Amino acid sequence: MLQLFKVEWLKIRTYKTFWVLFGTFCIMFPLAFYFSAREFMKSGAGFDEKAIKAFLGSPFIFPKVWQASSWFGGLFFVMMGMLFILLITNEVQYRTHRQNIIDGWSRMDFLKAKFSLLLFLVLVATVLVFLCGLTVGMIFSKNIDDIFNGVHYIGYFALMAIVYLMVAFLISILIKRTGLSIIIYFAFVCIVDNVLWLILTLYNNQFGYFLPLESADSLVVNPFKPALLEKRTVPDNALISAVLFYIILFGFIIIRYFKRTDLKT
Amino acid sequence: MHVLNVENLSKNYGQIKALKNIDFDVPSGTVFGILGPNGSGKTTLLGIVMDVLRPTSGSYLWNGKPGSDSQRKKIGTLLETPNFYHYLSGEDNLKIAAEIKGHGKEDIPQVLHAVNLFERRKSKFNTYSLGMKQRLAIASTLLGNPDILVFDEPTNGLDPAGIAEIRELIQQLNNDGKTIIMASHILDEVEKVCTHVAIIQKGVLKTVGSVIDVLSTSAANKIIVEVAAEDLELLKTVLSEMNGIGDIKILDNELHITCEENISAININQYCFSKGIVLSRLNVKRKSLETRFLEITGNQSDR
Repeated sequence: MLQLFKVEWLKIRTYKTFWVLFGTFCIMFPLAFYFSAREFMKSGAGFDEKAIKAFLGSPFIFPKVWQASSWFGGLFFVMMGMLFILLITNEVQYRTHRQNIIDGWSRMDFLKAKFSLLLFLVLVATVLVFLCGLTVGMIFSKNIDDIFNGVHYIGYFALMAIVYLMVAFLISILIKRTGLSIIIYFAFVCIVDNVLWLILTLYNNQFGYFLPLESADSLVVNPFKPALLEKRTVPDNALISAVLFYIILFGFIIIRYFKRTDLKT
Repeated sequence: MHVLNVENLSKNYGQIKALKNIDFDVPSGTVFGILGPNGSGKTTLLGIVMDVLRPTSGSYLWNGKPGSDSQRKKIGTLLETPNFYHYLSGEDNLKIAAEIKGHGKEDIPQVLHAVNLFERRKSKFNTYSLGMKQRLAIASTLLGNPDILVFDEPTNGLDPAGIAEIRELIQQLNNDGKTIIMASHILDEVEKVCTHVAIIQKGVLKTVGSVIDVLSTSAANKIIVEVAAEDLELLKTVLSEMNGIGDIKILDNELHITCEENISAININQYCFSKGIVLSRLNVKRKSLETRFLEITGNQSDR
């Protein structure tokens, strides 16, 4: 696996577009998170705002900061899906997916190499989300006795990140064209999944929480959403199982399709 | 010993039959040409034996064993077009190929020299001309000094000097004992460098064997003689009465006559002179792969 990742690394090492998109995530997310926290903590002189804060519980101090950092990270991580699509569809466009096989990779090697890249992106993002949560929590919390309470949200973030990239992986392997894949990905992430969720959660129905992306999204609840408004009754463990199921399902479809298909452009 | 055995290989794209029961062997140490018009299925065939396309039926063996990734690592292949990362330099692209092959990294400077790209090794692939891209692809096939090389239209996009260089390189590689499998629609190319040839048309294998055998099959046992005299009509009338002369065509200012193999220039010259005709031109054409190819394929593109 490490050998396969080494090849992927050679592919992206000097690829400008990769560094621009990757860099944007690594810079924009921490900045947005920090400044949101600062603004939020600064405001609140008036009675109304104090009441709201008391009602919500501050999202930027321990222990809730882990949830906030994971949720903010998730907002920005959608972009990484686009980057991942680009890195896969580039191969089709340049026909290098054929060349990699011709040069001696098996088709599984090609998929494993891309999966190693997926893990790399998830790992970097997860470490960043952890560091941002820790830093912002340290800056704004008065009480830092029990800082790792709620740190499991970082794990939820990692799961969410994996499932988003698996969706991107599946779309780009099936669609092959860069532009179309990105459009479908965003349509799915921003519209289809949410519309289905609305339909499937009507009248307090819980089916909507088991949608591919929603199951992961629901693990990391919007930290600004009051607990009273939360209609979800399915436990976290059920959602984790759903997320793992989707990761395996998408992986299975990708492998089955890619092993049998003709590699063309 | 055969380097490659292709057994009953067929490939359908929906209704279209791109390959129909192709069957042949590539002997070790040969330059094996796969010849066919555009769209005849040459690239499809090579795509299947390199595992980028799935056959509908049939199988193939490399060195007597079913194709595998570890075998492909030891074959240098250029399939259809040079496939590289556009944003990387020529050298970085070769590093990726060598890394995948698991060997050949130390060969990079040498193979770049072999195709005259060493000076441009740091330039990005998308700044290369078509000929340079093609040469980089050939350089990539040489990594790790493989015993088998597969070239699909190797001289595509090259200028005449480049074509001559690549031909020389192929012959040099063959002299070093390597087996070369080469697809081409350029007859001249195949005739100049190949020892063996398979002719494919519309997905059907028309003939296969050594170039000499293919050229001398029965249908080819006729020679073409170009003759001219002052009065072409008279010459035509006279020659049509000669034994062993077949078809006669008037072309420009000469006649192209098809005759039996035992007819020589001397026979024709003597016969004409005895009939009072002095020939102004007499040229016996060697039966070329081109005439043979056109006989077999009927002079049509498969598009």
